[in-house]
Amino acid sequence: MSIRTLIEGWNRFFFAPQSPLPVALFRILYGCLAVANLVLLYPDWLTWFGTNAWVSLQTMAKLEPGVRLNLFTVLPASNAWITGLFWVFLASAILLAMGFLTRINSVIVFLCLTSIHQRNLYILHGGDTFMRVAGFFLMFAPAGAALSIDRLIRIRRGREGPQVQAKPPWAQRMIQFELALLYFVTFCWKSSGAPWVNGTALYYVAHLDELRYFPVPSVLQNPVFLKIATWLTLAIEFSLGVLIWFKELRYPLLAIGVVFHIYLAYWLNIPLFQWEVLSAYVLFIDPNDLEHGLGFARRCRQTVTEVNLRG
Amino acid sequence: MPIAKRTAINVFLIFHIVAITCWCVPVNSALLISFRNTVRPYMLWSGLFQAWDMFSPTPRSVNARVEAAVIFKDGRIQTWKFPRMEQLSIPARTYKERYRKFVENVQEESHSAMWPDVARHIARANNNRSDPPQVVMLIRYWSDIVPAASTPSHAPERARIFFEYNVKPEDLR
Repeated sequence: MSIRTLIEGWNRFFFAPQSPLPVALFRILYGCLAVANLVLLYPDWLTWFGTNAWVSLQTMAKLEPGVRLNLFTVLPASNAWITGLFWVFLASAILLAMGFLTRINSVIVFLCLTSIHQRNLYILHGGDTFMRVAGFFLMFAPAGAALSIDRLIRIRRGREGPQVQAKPPWAQRMIQFELALLYFVTFCWKSSGAPWVNGTALYYVAHLDELRYFPVPSVLQNPVFLKIATWLTLAIEFSLGVLIWFKELRYPLLAIGVVFHIYLAYWLNIPLFQWEVLSAYVLFIDPNDLEHGLGFARRCRQTVTEVNLRG
Repeated sequence: MPIAKRTAINVFLIFHIVAITCWCVPVNSALLISFRNTVRPYMLWSGLFQAWDMFSPTPRSVNARVEAAVIFKDGRIQTWKFPRMEQLSIPARTYKERYRKFVENVQEESHSAMWPDVARHIARANNNRSDPPQVVMLIRYWSDIVPAASTPSHAPERARIFFEYNVKPEDLR
């Protein structure tokens, strides 16, 4: 391999224009997940982020020093403002999902999300971290170039034709990279621990009382099954981190990943984590396949409407 | 795309790929530590810091919870409990899951700076003007998860007071 080939490969990967459909679909899922996250946080919003929260802003700065992008440090210290932040965040997340003023709303959503994370880092799980990092790169993506109100407005004003314009996918690639890195680093951490190597790790996870979500059949709690599941977890995480980049393996691996995360969503009480990770799977789907899928969905809807009208 | 723009994007991409990878890979060579320290201000500021060590390298092998003993002015003692996921309904444990993570962090010795805040919050939650709380004690209860096929199947629960706070009148405002 020559350096020239490497540079060509880099340019093709990051800059060869492609349909923005995957990143637009991801934007919709991302916005919906941000809304779901806010709905779950709403009852305890002031308990976590208010002026009399569990951890004060000053204590947080002492525990986690450093200059951070955090709106709480510039907002007046009043619960009215903090409640206002909730509604701004919610409105912006809804508008982002709809694709209205997409770029501005992606910035607002990222600012609000990173602010609540920095305000209390001790209530976060991996899904939150993934949302924050993906949100950072989403700000740079052409996320409003398809499936958006912004696009409808542009078509109406005659600035765009019916065909979705291809765009350089570099920001989408960074979210894909982040997802693959997540799996690979998780695999590296796990493979350095004796319980993961000897197959007992998931036995301990299964016995953490506060993590259980829905009841799991006893056969799936069996130590032999848990041992196999421990090693399978390592294999799946390695594959989704490394082998996902091979086109031929991508769809089977994504299917395995979907089953894996749905089982985890059923088993472990870490709300939204699995769905936040799964949302980024759409970025690995070939835009042409997505186009076909959406076309099929449109035809189905049309058929149903026609049948209803005849009926 | 203009060359200047493409160059700027390339610099952005290379920097972020290298910085994020070096930040989160579980390798602690002197070079990586030095690089992490260099990019730390940016990673913290931008929110790109991350750790992917879920249940690893060793999953927790204890079930632990935190409760508080609140002593009031008249000498009465009341127990205050954080929401316990295993005792909640499915919808409640979905909404209250942040407490699971919070309690996990509260117990950490390295987070001791937040203990006075936690104690004050509990004092405020139990405030009664005629009989205000005077002392809040944070207590950690834990029991080991015994390995498969061991007897007995459940380890006995142990407890330790890890923080005691004398409530001041201004804490209750």
